[in-house]
Amino acid sequence: MSTQSIPAQPLAARAPGRRRRFGLDLARPSRRHWLGYLLLAPAVLLIALIIVYPLFISLDLSFQNVGIARLDQPRRPFTLANYERLFTSAEFWMACWVTFKLLVIVTGACFVLGLATALLVNNRFRGRSIARLFVALPWAVPEVIAVIIFAWIFDSSFGLMNWLFITLGLTSQTINWFSDPDAAFAVVAITMIWKGYPFVSIMALAGLQSIPEDFYNAAKVDGANAWQRFTNITIPTLMPVLGVTIVLVMLWVFRDFSIIYVLTGGGPLKATQTLSIMTYEQAFGFFKMGYASAVGIVTLVLCVLASLLMVGRRAEAMY
Amino acid sequence: MAGIRIENVRKSYGAVTVLRDFNLDIADGEFVVFVGPSGCGKSTMLKILAGLEEASGGRVLIGERDVTDLAPGDRDIAMVFQNYALYPHLTVARNMGFGLKMRGMDRGEIDRRVSEAAKILAVDHLLDRRPKELSGGQRQRVALGRAIVREPQAFLMDEPLSNLDAKLRVHMRAEISALHKRLGVTTIYVTHDQIEAMTMADRIVIMRDGEIQQIADPDTMFARPENLFVAGFIGSPGMNFLLGNVTADERGARVSLFGQDVCLPVPLAAVPGIAGRPVILGLRPEHIGPAHGPVSFAVRPRLVESLGSEKYIYVDLPHENRGAPADAKGADDERRGDALIARLVDAGAVATGEPITLSFDPARLHVFDAETHRAIR
Ligand SMILES: Nc1ncnc2c1ncn2[C@@H]1O[C@H](COP(=O)(O)OP(=O)(O)OP(=O)(O)O)[C@@H](O)[C@H]1O
Ligand SMILES: [Mg+2]
Repeated sequence: MSTQSIPAQPLAARAPGRRRRFGLDLARPSRRHWLGYLLLAPAVLLIALIIVYPLFISLDLSFQNVGIARLDQPRRPFTLANYERLFTSAEFWMACWVTFKLLVIVTGACFVLGLATALLVNNRFRGRSIARLFVALPWAVPEVIAVIIFAWIFDSSFGLMNWLFITLGLTSQTINWFSDPDAAFAVVAITMIWKGYPFVSIMALAGLQSIPEDFYNAAKVDGANAWQRFTNITIPTLMPVLGVTIVLVMLWVFRDFSIIYVLTGGGPLKATQTLSIMTYEQAFGFFKMGYASAVGIVTLVLCVLASLLMVGRRAEAMY
Repeated sequence: MAGIRIENVRKSYGAVTVLRDFNLDIADGEFVVFVGPSGCGKSTMLKILAGLEEASGGRVLIGERDVTDLAPGDRDIAMVFQNYALYPHLTVARNMGFGLKMRGMDRGEIDRRVSEAAKILAVDHLLDRRPKELSGGQRQRVALGRAIVREPQAFLMDEPLSNLDAKLRVHMRAEISALHKRLGVTTIYVTHDQIEAMTMADRIVIMRDGEIQQIADPDTMFARPENLFVAGFIGSPGMNFLLGNVTADERGARVSLFGQDVCLPVPLAAVPGIAGRPVILGLRPEHIGPAHGPVSFAVRPRLVESLGSEKYIYVDLPHENRGAPADAKGADDERRGDALIARLVDAGAVATGEPITLSFDPARLHVFDAETHRAIR
């Protein structure tokens, strides 16, 4: 029917008219990818505006001796003083060390805990959905609320942890968690692990569910025991997912600010001052924005290096 | 190598019974094919044999050893899966050697066996590749290789060819048969394709809704089906079914087919009360011939399909012969009830709607009880 309603018109006469109406005919095979770029453009522009531009500003600032940065003032002369000061300051190396410790401990613990809980709730048992919910719960709690919960738990006079320690007879007097450097570091680490492991767990669970049942059946027939199945099937097939997850967790530890800042503010004795806390302190505590920018830039470089190291080896797709 | 005995195996998932009372004796070196429509419990039975599923009752013996409660790895069987289940992170060689490595065999012996199996299956040039770098047929061979390096007592194969295209399937079918001849290992092969079953099997086990319908070699299965279901399942195109009312006289049991009085190939004595009851008559499309014969009838074809070497002629059944139950599901059909297919080889020109004479020999008729659907002989 529809073919009849179109007026009979020579094809050659119709085609050019049509092309004129749509100046940019994106349906043409040779131009099909233009549409993709067109759709990407707003996002790219936005990212350029809110990420790339500030990045260049701070790179620029890090080579100037600036207190409070103002965009309407002329550039100060180029100097490497910020970096010189940075690499000779004990505080910076201390912050690097704290960040590194936190990175290893939190990422490692999140990995183990996340994988273990994922394996647990991947089994079939009564109340599995409830268990999954509980595993994922900390992830849904806003960071600041999580911090307040833990600040109460570790409160020196009426915290749960002190009560527990005393009840169990592990200590005779209350521990002041936030004034002892090691204890404060432990509190920060525990809070970050509690907040961070559900992400690993959720990702690992998604990965686990995409492993075909027949891999395990084949391995069982091949005589692999539960441990061999775990190390030979589960871990290698999960690796692409876990690799990316670890990088994301690492970057989160690198840049996380609110947990440490609200819990300890970087103290005591800078025992929990990571690079991101240091950046904030220098910029908005001491108003040395040039110096703070230098810290930020170094952090960025470290982040990039760390993720390249982790992702690079796993880049090859498996299937 | 060993025989396999399955005794009274049952399986149910809660209220759903998937297998009921499965009994089968498989001789050493035999190639047995389980065949049946989707969901009839073939894979379930195979998984019970492999130890991947627990039976709700009954016993499984492999080589006189009761393995009912043994772990899959301790049963000394190898399994080939429908989607191959090759480990994506391992090379072909490591995939094939996986089972041996799990058993703690030393590297040298594993390498020797893998390269030997790879040679047999012509995948020796692929040993360093990953599964994703292989074609479907190559993956299939690697999956077979993984089974044969183990030198197990028996092979279990669950629809190993169903992911391949038609041509490759025919090719691999022949290869698996040849491999079986060469190795002589007891094999249980699951498929829902009756052609695979007919071409490969020493013996076929036809299943339906968790029950064995018939166990026989391919030729017997084709020539003497035990019931309507088996008759309709084996053969392509499927058997034609006609309904008829039996009348008995001194010459034997008779029915009216295409308006003609046809003598049934069963002695009246076989079924005493048969007279006056309806029966279902089965007639294979290839047993209908062109031109005149013992029973001839003139028809106008409803449809003629030519395959080049042969023609399928679709003919309307007379009303009195219609209504055989669609219970017997052949490969394709909804026509069962009211049409008949004749398969003619070298028939010359046949046109839709043009009159043609067809004939058949009443001795070729299969007779089934209309109520129990069992064969009457
Ligand atoms: N875990 C399970 N829980 C409940 N029912 C199941 C389960 N596994 C299988 N079944 C049922 O058991 C029956 C037999 O399944 P099975 O996989 O053995 O069929 P099959 O003969 O292999 O079919 P196909 O040719 O489609 O592979 C099906 O009806 C299926 O729904
Ligand atoms: Mg199946």
